[in-house]
Amino acid sequence: MTAAVAVGVLVAGGVFLVLQRGLLRVVLGFVLLGHAVNVLVLSAGGMQRRDLPLIGQGDPAAAADPLPQAFVLTAIVITFGITVYLLALVRAGDGDEDAGGDAGGDAGGDTGGDGEPDVAGRVPADRTRGAR
Amino acid sequence: MPAVALVVMAVLAAAAPLLHRRLGRNTGYVLAAGFAVTGALLATGAPTVLDGGAVTASWSWLPSLQVSFALRLDGLAALFCLIVLGVGTLIMAYCPRYVGDGGRTGTVYGLLTAFAGAMLGLVLAADLVLLYVFWELTTVCSFFLLATAGRVAVAPARRALLITAAGGLALLVAVVALSVVVGSTDLSTVLAARDEVLASPLAWPIGALIAFAAFTKSAQVPLHSWLPGAMVAMTPVSAYLHAATMVKAGIYLLMRTTPLFAGQPAWSALLVTVGLASAVTGAFLALREHDLKAILAQSTVSQLGLLVAVIGVGTPTALAAAMLHTFAHALFKATLFMLVGVVDKETGSRDIRELSGLRRVMPVTATVTALAALSMAGVPPMLGFVSKEYLFQSLVQADVAPWAGPVAGALAVAASALTFAYGVRIVHGAFGGPVRQPDLYEPSPAFLAPAVVAASAGLLLGPGIAWVRPVVTRAAADVVPAGEVPQFEFWHGLSPEVVMSAITIAVGTALFLRRDPVDRALQRLRLPDGAAVFDRAHDAVLDLGSAVGRPDRSRDLAPHLARPLVALGVLGAVGVAAVGGLPERGPTDRALDWPVLALLVLTVAGTVLARSALAALGLVGVVGLVVAVWFLLAGAVDVALTLLLVEVLTAVVAVLVLRSRPPRLPGSDRPRTVLAAGLAVAAGTGAAAAVYALTGRRGISGAGAWFLDNAEPQTGGTNVVNTVLVDFRGMDTLGEAIVLGAAALGLLVVVARRAPEAAPDRAARGRPDGTGGGLVLQVAARVLVPGMAALSLWLLWRGHDEPGGGFISALVAGTAVGLHQTAHAFPGLPRLLRPTSLVGGGLLLALGTGLFAVVRGEPLLTPVEVPLLGALGIGSALLFDLGVYLLVLALLVTAFDRLGGGPVPAVPGPSSGDHREVAATPDVPSRQGAP
Repeated sequence: MTAAVAVGVLVAGGVFLVLQRGLLRVVLGFVLLGHAVNVLVLSAGGMQRRDLPLIGQGDPAAAADPLPQAFVLTAIVITFGITVYLLALVRAGDGDEDAGGDAGGDAGGDTGGDGEPDVAGRVPADRTRGAR
Repeated sequence: MPAVALVVMAVLAAAAPLLHRRLGRNTGYVLAAGFAVTGALLATGAPTVLDGGAVTASWSWLPSLQVSFALRLDGLAALFCLIVLGVGTLIMAYCPRYVGDGGRTGTVYGLLTAFAGAMLGLVLAADLVLLYVFWELTTVCSFFLLATAGRVAVAPARRALLITAAGGLALLVAVVALSVVVGSTDLSTVLAARDEVLASPLAWPIGALIAFAAFTKSAQVPLHSWLPGAMVAMTPVSAYLHAATMVKAGIYLLMRTTPLFAGQPAWSALLVTVGLASAVTGAFLALREHDLKAILAQSTVSQLGLLVAVIGVGTPTALAAAMLHTFAHALFKATLFMLVGVVDKETGSRDIRELSGLRRVMPVTATVTALAALSMAGVPPMLGFVSKEYLFQSLVQADVAPWAGPVAGALAVAASALTFAYGVRIVHGAFGGPVRQPDLYEPSPAFLAPAVVAASAGLLLGPGIAWVRPVVTRAAADVVPAGEVPQFEFWHGLSPEVVMSAITIAVGTALFLRRDPVDRALQRLRLPDGAAVFDRAHDAVLDLGSAVGRPDRSRDLAPHLARPLVALGVLGAVGVAAVGGLPERGPTDRALDWPVLALLVLTVAGTVLARSALAALGLVGVVGLVVAVWFLLAGAVDVALTLLLVEVLTAVVAVLVLRSRPPRLPGSDRPRTVLAAGLAVAAGTGAAAAVYALTGRRGISGAGAWFLDNAEPQTGGTNVVNTVLVDFRGMDTLGEAIVLGAAALGLLVVVARRAPEAAPDRAARGRPDGTGGGLVLQVAARVLVPGMAALSLWLLWRGHDEPGGGFISALVAGTAVGLHQTAHAFPGLPRLLRPTSLVGGGLLLALGTGLFAVVRGEPLLTPVEVPLLGALGIGSALLFDLGVYLLVLALLVTAFDRLGGGPVPAVPGPSSGDHREVAATPDVPSRQGAP
């Protein structure tokens, strides 16, 4: 039950962020979705047995399923690798993809609802950059 | 011996460009000799073939598909070999005086020879797959030969390629279908299985596909538009490929498959209808043209149409007539093309409205052209007359319907009358009338000789039909073994065909005499332009593709990301409908879960609502920590440790990236927010429901229990998760570690190294305002980094038995590197930590450990005792883990190196304008603080 709610919350948050403007939020949403899947995989192993899967420590009959743990462990590291790569893309894309201006403007017709310009003068400057 | 011929052609094709470097355009003479030798080589098989046998050779090629590289020289193949090599020799001998010495000539020679080889392979192939391969090779050669004409050839070459390649694909499908029905791709076996093929439901598709393939290659209406366009190629190419040989590949295919379909009404009706339509249309269009090459191109469509129609009739006489006419057509059409090339070269024009009176200055050329044109027009005593007689005789026998014979005969006569008219038009247009260019003179004998030889053959073989007879009779007997093949005669009495020929000549003469009104009437006609229709269709297909792909070209990420979510939702709905009767849920919750869950809800909500990048980032980090606690509660200590470290490192890397970005996240418009929220709630609910429905309803998995029982006995490790990673599922782990290595290399490519931040300037380090971090951080780093390095190695060492292992220890090491780099303002990496070396070293170590087992004859990555280190308690598992360690470390090091360092952009202030302009210059002294 708790695992189900946890997955639901993480998925909802992740999906919402992934659908936002700006690559940074997408990256964060991606991280949340990664957490959701990891919790899901771990709970698929069964949340009844929760002892450490270390031989010789505790009751083997109560030890948690080690296989999903191994999956999740590598998944975390891989998610980390992809996150770092995505962040690098955010950095590499600085100047192309910023403040959501270009991320939402697929045909140049996206003028409204672009979010508030955070600093005076920035938005026009970005516009000209993006148009180049 | 057929194989030797192919090898000789391949060698010649490869040698042609080299020869051209030495001999220039005279390479053609060498190649002509090569063609003749190849022909002589094949001719040694003539006695066998004429006796009704065949010369065969076969090598195993694709044994799993029972496809062999099988060649077979029988009568039909011999006839086409004669055409390919005979005309090929003449064309090659013609080329040297036609082509220039330019750079492309060597390529043209090579391609022409390669084409001849492919064409030989096509007619010699005794396996359908091989036949298809050679069929496509001829298409490709034709495309490249067209392309040598340069820019003007772009559209025609594309048209020719697309149409003929479509036919090739149809042929491939037909071949596959035939092999499914018959169970073999061997040509003889397939052709012998007529009853099987006709009885199968695939009979119709197969017949239609083969006919389609032939129609594309042999330029039949309505697929003929590529052939006139192909005339942009140089004249030898037009003469050889687009008149004498390649366009005959379709004819060859129809003749070859006649044993399967002959006598089938649908097959006959299709071939006769399309063939006669092409014959009349082509002849009609030819009479309209003024360009000599265009006339000849349309004429080829027309003549091929007659051949297709006659093959459709399917009687032994018809097949024999088609073969004889194929031969005759190759002779007279190649001759005419060569002579048009001569005229073009000498006068600089091919337009009959500009040419006039050349008979006075070029009498030999005029005579030879007239001979070839008469053969084309079917005037006695030329070879063309004999073959056309038999065409007429065959067509009136068409028995698809009671009226079919007379109608077919009448249409053939009409097409032939038009042929006569444009044949005379060619000769009269170029050579008749008053002399306009009196200072021209006869071309050199070497230029004319090949055409003279071919035209003379057309003249002599009419009365001397007996010389051609054995080959054609033999070829026809191969296709219709049961039927009686007629013995061709030059004159066979005052038969109906002679009357038809007489009518042809009479009507043709009348059309010529009334040429001015006829021409005016024809020019007034508005006919659909096949090429334009094709181009429109081509553009429409491209537009369709563009329309289909438009959603995928959106630069907004959300549409791309929403689609898989929706697809997942649909899949989930299907799952709900399909899954039923779930077992009971066990007790899965603990009291401690609930506060953790509450914290999770709060932090996720905070992340979603955060407007500041830094806050969002921090909250995501907290979410990660909460999830790590969750993992700890679930008994996954290794996972929790890993996640903890990953969260720290993610936060560090993200902050490094964020330094150059605006501190506030972009806002969003209302519709998007609502839509995203809707999708998010739906996805979250669905995911929660799925987890609730599908987990906690069974005990431990069989695999999990097995690992718990066998981990220690089999590997000696007590940390089961780690043994799964490095011992049992080492291959997976290797793959995952390689992904990280790839990400590291990707980073190196994506993000260029920023200029080192005043690296040589030691005084700049530790600036209190920069990323230098200040004294405190430096001291902390100095104290902590060695300890962290030691901790990392210890975790790696004990990973097999206790929580730890390659991933976790590498993350600790990465944190140490990050701390050091941050404290010292990213001074660059020491040699030891170069990312490429780490990736390479890690890969080599992990793979090497795995392969070590293979060397010992065990499966990849089997844990083995390491010879020397074993005594120290170091197993191959540890070495493998060390490889993983290095790969993970590589990613971290790369991230710090590429994302850190470089100038820190200022916090945007009213004066900063476009801050990236500042960021672009490395040595701007004043910075306005760090994030």
